[in-house]
Amino acid sequence: MRRVIATVVTAALSVTLAGCGGGTTSAKNTAGVPAKGGDLVIVKALDSKSMDNTTTFDNDSIWVFEQMMEPLYTVTEDGKGVKPWLATSFTLSPDKLHYTFTLRKGVTFHNGQPMTSADVKFSIDQATKTKGGWEFINTAIKSVAAPTPDTVVVTTKYPWAPLVADLSNFNNGIVPKDYAGMTSKQFYEHPVGTGPFKWDHWTKGSELKLVKNPNYWQSGKPSLDSVTWKPVPDDNTRTLQLQGGQAQINEFPPISSLGQLKNSSTVQATLFDSTKTDYLLFNHTAKPFNDVHARRAISLAIDREAIIKSVLFGNGKPANSFMPPQVPYYDAATPGLKYDLTAAKAELAKSTTPQGFTATYLAAAGDVQDAAIAQILQGAVKPLGITIKIENVDPATARARQDKQDYQITHSSWTMDIADPDELVSFAVDPTTGAKAFYTGYSNKDVIDATHAAQKAFDPAVRQAKYTFIQKQAAEDAFMAFLYYSPYQWAYSKKVQGFKPYPTGNYHLEDVTLSK
Amino acid sequence: MAYLAFIGRRLWQLLPVLFGITLVVFFMIHLIPGDPASTLLGNRSTPQAVAALRTQFGLDQPLYQQYLDFLGRVVRGDLGSSFVYKSPVRGLVEGRISATLWLLGAGALFSLLLSVPLAVLAASRKGAARDQAVRVVPLIGLGMPTVWVGLMLQLFFALRLGLFPVSGFGTSFTEHAQSIVLPALTVAVALAPILVRSLRTSLLDVLDSDYVLTARAKGISRGRLLVRHALRNAAVSSVTVLGVNIAYLVGATVIVERVFALPGLGTLMLESIYSRDFPVVQGVVIVIAVLVVIVNLATDLAHASLDPRVGVEA
Repeated sequence: MRRVIATVVTAALSVTLAGCGGGTTSAKNTAGVPAKGGDLVIVKALDSKSMDNTTTFDNDSIWVFEQMMEPLYTVTEDGKGVKPWLATSFTLSPDKLHYTFTLRKGVTFHNGQPMTSADVKFSIDQATKTKGGWEFINTAIKSVAAPTPDTVVVTTKYPWAPLVADLSNFNNGIVPKDYAGMTSKQFYEHPVGTGPFKWDHWTKGSELKLVKNPNYWQSGKPSLDSVTWKPVPDDNTRTLQLQGGQAQINEFPPISSLGQLKNSSTVQATLFDSTKTDYLLFNHTAKPFNDVHARRAISLAIDREAIIKSVLFGNGKPANSFMPPQVPYYDAATPGLKYDLTAAKAELAKSTTPQGFTATYLAAAGDVQDAAIAQILQGAVKPLGITIKIENVDPATARARQDKQDYQITHSSWTMDIADPDELVSFAVDPTTGAKAFYTGYSNKDVIDATHAAQKAFDPAVRQAKYTFIQKQAAEDAFMAFLYYSPYQWAYSKKVQGFKPYPTGNYHLEDVTLSK
Repeated sequence: MAYLAFIGRRLWQLLPVLFGITLVVFFMIHLIPGDPASTLLGNRSTPQAVAALRTQFGLDQPLYQQYLDFLGRVVRGDLGSSFVYKSPVRGLVEGRISATLWLLGAGALFSLLLSVPLAVLAASRKGAARDQAVRVVPLIGLGMPTVWVGLMLQLFFALRLGLFPVSGFGTSFTEHAQSIVLPALTVAVALAPILVRSLRTSLLDVLDSDYVLTARAKGISRGRLLVRHALRNAAVSSVTVLGVNIAYLVGATVIVERVFALPGLGTLMLESIYSRDFPVVQGVVIVIAVLVVIVNLATDLAHASLDPRVGVEA
């Protein structure tokens, strides 16, 4: 208790002093010398749901279990490629169907077992056999073999360029063979992996704690003794926790509060590059959204800068492509539609509804960004004679209706899980994958063919040409209105060093140090 | 003996109540739009994945069959398995009930500690300045939004003075006790005004009655009069007011839980409704129904023990 009071008083004094002293906060940097050890506390809005890496979809679970279970390769810091992790290299057969991975030596699981190819085969097979989880990432995999204890051969059904990126996804994280003698259910209550942190305990709703893995394969890491994630639903409460020193990292503080943090000498906020992209979805099976001119007209009428200023307080960039800049093969030259009211009117004049029309925007109640976008859209298309009615439903209802294509216009977003465009591109423009082209019903044969060709091409120049074409055509077809790219905002104590979420959103806590 | 029979009768009456509740909740949650599988999958949802999950969850069965399966499990004490957490509902509820009970208990206690002295103070001299003050000032508490009250308490007592944690529930008994003070105070600020007014009115009524006049004539002091005689009798109706409000609170603690990050039943219920986690919604509602009935039962028992004229035969 005394330590709490001391920390709080120190924090309060520093904040007061910073305020009095005219805010020369950079000079008063309390970072100090990075020390070994320390217990990190991260506060976030929602608790994790499950540690099962093959079936869990929420980031609050994923970013936690990634500290325990690791894949053969992993995403690079810029999000644009993959680097060796539990495997050190791979070779590809001439027919492009067999990948031979060499496993890293000296890697052990948290229970002391050494990692071998049998464990790798088991893990990837389990991920592929899942139902209703991430198995779609592994659809191209035909079989996995373990010819020697430190080599694994993955065979694909057809030439498949995204394979290594797919294997870097967390669903292919390596666990002990046969779940170390437990059932799958028992195993995931306290998973065992090779990662920098191992299981300690989880009091649901209260805290989830992992402790240092002293035998981690990266020598000298991790520095932290433990990491605890605490769910704190209220934005203000999280901010107070950080200010008071009870937490060192705050996940996604409200963007409106970031400005205040500039004047703090103990806490800082950083906007990290992310792959998050926001869109307006048009339902092509609902008139007049089957008409490309109507869609282009709406997209041209949107002032994206105004939305960014209002919704993100200026922290974002207009999106010119449905792919975000941090993904390989993103083309910055993609002619995304930009705000041009004259051109919008001209497009509508060419459409089947030149006088305008009435449409309904399906909004998720309680989502502040959604509400703001809906209102801005309403005002933006009025000059075209288009009337937008806003229908607010609860998020689960909005989700179900989007899946069934029971909407006219709605808002959605995407973040990448892998360092390959294929996951997003297949999902967004290829209706044969089952998601009906991001629930829009878009179907352009040339774009679909290019998607399939890019999956099977290994030459980066060929893939780039295909993806450039896909992005350009998708932009011209305005199958969705691309809105903006936004960063991931994090607030954390200045004592925290080395904290860097990657564009895929996950972070490597083995690189984090906490100074005293 | 009569008390035991009374309790027994009331608990027995709980069964048809619970049955009715399970029926209503089950069909309501299953029939509103929104689907647990597509909500779980989010933007990774495809018809195949949704179908696979729905089969896993048993949602491809006819509705009446699902209800019968659910009822069959409930009578065996099995509340099913959460779609979202993939773990038994019973475990989830057991983990959350502690925070809710602490909050209710401490909230009731603080409400009483605040309202009884204030009501006695007000009634001691009707119409005087202190009476006016007690009648008006607590109304401010009633009008202030819970979120704001909680935040102010956190800023002052937790952050500035460092006397209590900002949020959370802790893991040990002492940590629970420390963590529940500010949330319970937040509850009390909203509940006390109601109790103060009710208790004050009852006290004034009692102070006007004949036996009090007799006691005064016999020379009893003001203090003894108020506390030993008037209060005990006035408490009777206020116990009912307190009981009703606590019962209401059982589900309404969501806001306080949210501000103070308390892992309680209210938050669990809200989250599970949003994610259409049917088994959890059903399980939590059953538990809350039982809690409400128990609180009402306790209220009646307290009422009967305070007022010997009220028996427990009914």
